[in-house]
Amino acid sequence: MTGAVAVSAASRRPPRPHTAWKGWLVVAVVLGITVWTGIAIGVNIPDLLGNWRNGLANMGALTQPDYWFFPQTLPALVETVQMAVMATAIASVVGLPISFAASRVTNPSRPAMLAVRSVMNVVRAVPDLLYAAILVSVVGTGVLSGTIALVLFNTAIIVKLVSEALDAVDTGGQEAALAAGATWPKADRAAVLPEILPSFASQVLYTFELNIRASTVIGLVGAGGLGMLIDKVRTFYHYHALSLIILEILVVVLVLEVASSSLRKRLTR
Amino acid sequence: MAGHVPAAASGIHFDGVGVRYPNGTVGLTDITLDIAPGEMVVVVGLSGAGKSTLIRTINGLVPITSGRLLVGDRSVGRLSGRRLGDLRSEIGMVFQSFNLARRTTVINNVLMGRLHHTPTWRTLIGAWSAADREIALQALERVEIVEKAYTKASELSGGQQQRVAIARALAQQPSVILADEPVASLDPPTSHVVMRDLQRINADLGITVVVNLHFLDLARRYGRRLVGMRAGRVVYDGEGADADERVFADIYGRSITAEDVLDTRVHP
Amino acid sequence: MSGPQPSAAATSGGHATPGASMPGRPTRAGTPATAPAASPPRAPNGRPVTDRPAPSSRIPVPPSAPASSSGPAGSSGPGRPNRPLHLARTLIWCAITAVVVLAFATAPLDWASLLRFPGNMIRYLGLMFGPPSLATLGPALSATLLSVQMAWFGTVLGVAVSLPLGFLATRGVTPAPVRAVIRAVLGLLRAVPEVVIAILILSVTGLTAFTGALAIAVGSIGTLGKWSYESMEAVDRGPIEAARAAGANRWQIVRWGVWTSAQPEVLAFWLYRFEISVRASAILGLIGAGGIGKVLADNVNFRIWDAVGMLLIVVVVVTVIIDLISGTLRRRLITGRWSAPRLRRTPVPAVGTA
Repeated sequence: MTGAVAVSAASRRPPRPHTAWKGWLVVAVVLGITVWTGIAIGVNIPDLLGNWRNGLANMGALTQPDYWFFPQTLPALVETVQMAVMATAIASVVGLPISFAASRVTNPSRPAMLAVRSVMNVVRAVPDLLYAAILVSVVGTGVLSGTIALVLFNTAIIVKLVSEALDAVDTGGQEAALAAGATWPKADRAAVLPEILPSFASQVLYTFELNIRASTVIGLVGAGGLGMLIDKVRTFYHYHALSLIILEILVVVLVLEVASSSLRKRLTR
Repeated sequence: MAGHVPAAASGIHFDGVGVRYPNGTVGLTDITLDIAPGEMVVVVGLSGAGKSTLIRTINGLVPITSGRLLVGDRSVGRLSGRRLGDLRSEIGMVFQSFNLARRTTVINNVLMGRLHHTPTWRTLIGAWSAADREIALQALERVEIVEKAYTKASELSGGQQQRVAIARALAQQPSVILADEPVASLDPPTSHVVMRDLQRINADLGITVVVNLHFLDLARRYGRRLVGMRAGRVVYDGEGADADERVFADIYGRSITAEDVLDTRVHP
Repeated sequence: MSGPQPSAAATSGGHATPGASMPGRPTRAGTPATAPAASPPRAPNGRPVTDRPAPSSRIPVPPSAPASSSGPAGSSGPGRPNRPLHLARTLIWCAITAVVVLAFATAPLDWASLLRFPGNMIRYLGLMFGPPSLATLGPALSATLLSVQMAWFGTVLGVAVSLPLGFLATRGVTPAPVRAVIRAVLGLLRAVPEVVIAILILSVTGLTAFTGALAIAVGSIGTLGKWSYESMEAVDRGPIEAARAAGANRWQIVRWGVWTSAQPEVLAFWLYRFEISVRASAILGLIGAGGIGKVLADNVNFRIWDAVGMLLIVVVVVTVIIDLISGTLRRRLITGRWSAPRLRRTPVPAVGTA
């Protein structure tokens, strides 16, 4: 009896899938590409090891910031914060309505929504420093070019993040508003906006964080802020001054990150 | 009281109405039904019988594909855009899942009933007119939940949320109220409260009320007129009092079970 | 079933005992006998029982106690709550507005330049894209290739270093002080912008694409490390318990319990980080590390605008393509499907529901 059962049970076994090769293939491909890219960019280990002593000396200089340099960095630091604040403010005001146009939940017209999304994806594809470099040539060095560059960069990010949140929002209130005879813009404003506000505020804070980091470096191409100071200082290899600037950047970024992350947790509770 | 006042309650007239979905399935077949202004009608039937579809054709949420549907003197099938919005603003709808904007206050939810009558710029900056606020508060008073006007909607219980939803429908000053399984998510005592609210609204204000239910005892108790649906067709149309177990078994196509009755769930 | 209890106006009928009616609701003469169980007539707020008014669509105010009638719009009747003040929220808004206004007012903005900007921008856009320089297409593509290679190598390097580090920073793997140190280092690496890292490294390796790749690697270790340990800490405890119960040792638990659960998310992060690295490589090129950024910087400095236009187009197209590929792969990893489900807009009931 048992023998008969065992035979019939065994004959019902499915064939063993042989898909492990897929995983190994991916690993092999990745490794292959990595080796190829390594050669292309000129991985140079001997030089690296050779210059190590030089590097160590500089690293040493970096750990001894020149605190007396601090007052000279203040104007640049203030500029950095100003740019970040202005750009975040403008981008959030401009970005919110565009986000509504870019989400399939709030925009009844699919072609219009796709058009807005595509334009925003294109704008997002250009890194912030690139915008800054071009704008400096067009507008001149200083805070204006940096702010405009950041606004472009931020609006695209806010639109992407908020429209993704909108895609997932609870649409019950919107359904009721439409059934009560409201037009789409009215329904979105009255029923969807309150649902998305905490997420929106959280994304604005995140963008502000990104802005502080970005505005510290866009000065490298002349767009104002701490970056311009870095540029001045590195050409003279003043590592102690450079180290102070880096320390300032670190402090500002870390303080902001802590404040912002606790605020964001409270918002999205 | 200032504010737009529509004509007296509207009647609803189905004339050979059919609904066929794009993928070929048929939602409604040859529905001919006459609902007089100020009547209260309860629609019963199994899931999939077409109750929800029937209700949603009335305010155009589901488009009809054949026949004629009149609400008052307007033909729903021919309306679109602004005029469909006009019609919908006179038809209040109560949903099974309440459909409130959970993160904002009760009064903001009720004010959504006044959206059609408010210019867009006012909506954008959130500046409702004083007259609209008054209408909203009075609607809340009518369902006796005005003390919660500034509470966040998500902090209310299910029964309270449904009453806010009813207040939102009332704030439209409608001539018809549709209720799609309004008590399916509520427990028995709350269900009775909500059904009595609807009944009182029909009696006091004379608004035409059409309610979907699948609990038979509720249907019998609150439906003076009962319409039974099966497989997209009307199979019974008569007095609620006359509907006994045999009639229901007819409508359902099977015998009644405990699942079909509300109050037996309390005593298993 | 106990008798009806007077519940406070705040609680709803949902929690009242079966049969109790809402407090405060006046019973009416002539109500159809449909009220369930005995509901005692109530009028605790003094509302008199009313007669049935003439049917109309208006909402008459239920006749209330003497205090007020349906007076001028805006008057509050009895029972209506006052609008809440939200003091804290208003203060925060004022503070934020003050900071923003301050920033605008004190920044050294050249308002004249700002007014000229739109006109200027249109002119430059014309110079860049009408038409862009086709001759630059070849060099642009090869420079972009170099940038992408930089990004790939840097990301792979970053992944290789961040995975063990992230693992070591996971709760439950190393003692708390070690974990704190590792997390601090990761945080530090995250906080320093990549460009600054590149500047620091270039004294060791010179201004080459290799420098750029190293900078990308070091920069990504911070974020990838954080995401790794967050993912690993968030895994379902179930498979880990099962593995432990079956007698697996620590490494086996990690491989089969933790890694299998965390794997899709972590792989998705790697892909996402690659997207970011591609952008970073363009930026690093701007300060001289080679690739498309360098070509761009040169052309911008010499104001060869039609070449700039072509370069921008190439950058955008390549970035968008990489984003799309990466996004599709990530979606497949996380959700198991290749494309996002289409949203059903009209509330048409599905067949099968009433």
